[in-house]
Amino acid sequence: MCRTMATHKRILSTLRNGPTRRNLFGPVDREQLQVEYQASIRKDLEEASHRWGFDFISDKPLESSDFQWEGVPGTKVPLLYRSCMFDLEQVESQRAAEVKVSPKRGKVAPPHNEKENIPLSPQRCALRLVNFEKTPEKRENTGLKRKQTNLTDFYQAKRRVVGMPRKSGE
Amino acid sequence: MELLCLEMDTNIRARPDPNLLCDDRVLQSLLTIEERFLPQYSYFKGVQKDIQPFMRRMVATWMLEVCEEQKCEEEVFPLAMNYLDRFLAVVPTKKCNLQLLGAVCMFLASKLKETRPLTAEKLCIYTDNSIKPQELLEWELVVLGKLKWNLAAVTPNDFIEHIVRRLPLPEDKLALIRKHVQTFIALCATDFRFAMYPPSMIATGSVGAAICGLQLDSADQSQWGDSLTDLLAKITNTEVDVLKECQEQIERVLVSSLREGRQQQQQQQQTQRGPSGKGLDELDQSSTPTDVRDVNL
Repeated sequence: MCRTMATHKRILSTLRNGPTRRNLFGPVDREQLQVEYQASIRKDLEEASHRWGFDFISDKPLESSDFQWEGVPGTKVPLLYRSCMFDLEQVESQRAAEVKVSPKRGKVAPPHNEKENIPLSPQRCALRLVNFEKTPEKRENTGLKRKQTNLTDFYQAKRRVVGMPRKSGE
Repeated sequence: MELLCLEMDTNIRARPDPNLLCDDRVLQSLLTIEERFLPQYSYFKGVQKDIQPFMRRMVATWMLEVCEEQKCEEEVFPLAMNYLDRFLAVVPTKKCNLQLLGAVCMFLASKLKETRPLTAEKLCIYTDNSIKPQELLEWELVVLGKLKWNLAAVTPNDFIEHIVRRLPLPEDKLALIRKHVQTFIALCATDFRFAMYPPSMIATGSVGAAICGLQLDSADQSQWGDSLTDLLAKITNTEVDVLKECQEQIERVLVSSLREGRQQQQQQQQTQRGPSGKGLDELDQSSTPTDVRDVNL
């Protein structure tokens, strides 16, 4: 907290140049960044496919697999592991937000919400992915139901657990 | 039933848990696992081509400033630096992406440690909007993958209470000592030379430097003196010589940081007060004290 601020500021004032809000190393090469991001995510996904013997893109087990995969009906999956479990209100707000999305990517209109950590909420992440053509592990329909959890879930978006209460004071 | 929310902006904290702090097994476990979270290579020799040590310091200083302005928990900054170092140890990174990486690391560390984490938007504003929230979220995934989702790294801050409780220190000075130790730990995190040191050593060295700096060891020189280092070394199973060296290194970094700070102040006083506005109030202090006791908390 602010306890040590004074000391920090003095001791570590060496590189302080003006306001904290600043760009340190010039402009970011956005296209390159996007390429690297896609490559990195793809690689992670390939490694995961390899490791688990499961094609996460087509959602099917690989033939040469060390694991035996078995489908489980969605209702049997513990709530925590189901994807995109929004309560109705959230779904509504998601739809509302979806309408606001302009075709240009990156122009996601943030649903106006007081909540501090709203950018992490699944709505926005999901929207983002839907808008991406190249995202390899994309989940096309961010629907309410899913048959089975798969590992790609962890590569897409963090999702809020159902029924998680709002933080108090927010 | 009506629920009243009495929460203010201050975070409500749990009391120190004696089950965690008075049980030696906790400290031993921390010591056992801490090495797992160290960066694997001294990455400036090899992995990184574009990034220089001074750039790490730039991004670290910026991250520290953000954490302070946002009043983050103390361990957020060291933890974020741990992520940054571990990522840089395995992924060649361009300098133009270094600030993005720093922001992502703060984002993750804050989410792990805080009840009200930093938002992506806020962090992007601190980069002067050179990155977008969407990019931050994307790279969060990349960083998580490279860190193998091992985020609960041991930080020097985890050791402070364990060490301090095992030392015969005056009760009324404990708060001050903690503050100084936290400052030294943050200082170490900005300096790459400490990046490969085990957190326990940084914590122990920082406690030693804080006690010596506050001259709490001077009251009974014969009892403390060398034996302070011996005692500290015993608590975290560090070799005495190594610990001494670490403590001296921390003291040197502190002195040079204070000196540079003073020089910079003078420079800035000479030039102008600038339109930037922020942070200028502390430049009014005519000189930075070199005695840490004079550093006013």
